[in-house]
Amino acid sequence: MVAGEWVEVEGISVEVAVKAALEELGIEKDGAEVDILQEPQRGFLGIGRQDAIVRVKPQPRPKRARRGRGGRKRRPSGQKQPSGRRPGNQRPEAKQRQARKGQAGKKTESSRRPGGRPKTAGNKAAGREVQAVTGQDNTVDDLGKEQAAVVEEFLSGLLEEFGLEGKVESRHDGRTLCAEVLGEQTEALVGPKASVLQAVHELTKTVVQRKTARNCRLRLDIAGYGEKRRKALGIYAGQLADQVLDEGGEIMLEPMNSSDRKVVHDAIGAVDGVRSYSEGREPRRSVVVALK
Amino acid sequence: MSGEIVERVVNYVVSSIVDDQEAVEVTMVDRGEDEVVAEVRTAPGEMGRVIGRGGRVARAIRSVAQAAAEEEGLTAGVEFVD
Repeated sequence: MVAGEWVEVEGISVEVAVKAALEELGIEKDGAEVDILQEPQRGFLGIGRQDAIVRVKPQPRPKRARRGRGGRKRRPSGQKQPSGRRPGNQRPEAKQRQARKGQAGKKTESSRRPGGRPKTAGNKAAGREVQAVTGQDNTVDDLGKEQAAVVEEFLSGLLEEFGLEGKVESRHDGRTLCAEVLGEQTEALVGPKASVLQAVHELTKTVVQRKTARNCRLRLDIAGYGEKRRKALGIYAGQLADQVLDEGGEIMLEPMNSSDRKVVHDAIGAVDGVRSYSEGREPRRSVVVALK
Repeated sequence: MSGEIVERVVNYVVSSIVDDQEAVEVTMVDRGEDEVVAEVRTAPGEMGRVIGRGGRVARAIRSVAQAAAEEEGLTAGVEFVD
């Protein structure tokens, strides 16, 4: 285990921030050490309010402490600490945050709008503020290679157990692992509405997390499904754009995951006179197409 | 043998997630003609990993097990026995 991994999260309350941090680390509360760096302050009419800032790290119990769930929360690589230093490096971060405090009220306000996710305050903070100290930066590349190898091995093994003929390709591209399962027979691993594909995605991420002790952002495609889906969605979005241009009003699509929504947003963005936005909470967040 | 693929797939996936692979046990139980249930046992304390936060991993295992069952024309369930 990487000793000293910790996250700092800001949220509207200590509870919210801690919860988001625990989620980010993938640990339970009783396995965590929580430092409250800043107590939240109410302020008055939104003036002078401060978010809570907490630092959470797993207690050194190697077997139990599970780190990082991948996926929803991003950990921009640019925010990574350059070295394995911990406390020394943290302070300046905290100070930066203090300096930005003025925006905090507004930010939180907006994250509580309907349409935001229930834990948005925490999640948002986690996405932007999380500092994960891993060791040296030059291990990122090695880690990517190692994770790509784990993905390839796991998926190849899975094909074998299924008795399906196919090929697995994986590579890492900065912070994202891309894996592709090729072969006609592998369609069995897509399933209705890609439910099996999603399950395989979840399992692959879990295995990577277990084997390399780090989570990953994984893009997985099986039997060309993603490609087909993107094409179909793009065409569908184009039709909806036409419809809105003809008839006016707004059209709300069925709930989709974030990558599908992005395809729709991109397609709508390419058409003059219409715009798109998302509404609702994950996992039932939908794109709405409207006139500009 | 019915449910063979399910058994292998479930065993493989669970073993990939736990530390103690030797302790993983998958027992197939027939439930009627076309239905099988895979009972999963792991070393004490490792079941949490297999189930995952909010049951996400367990759900994924069930979904993959079902896909495996379809290869054999079956329906499969997975039970995690703690």
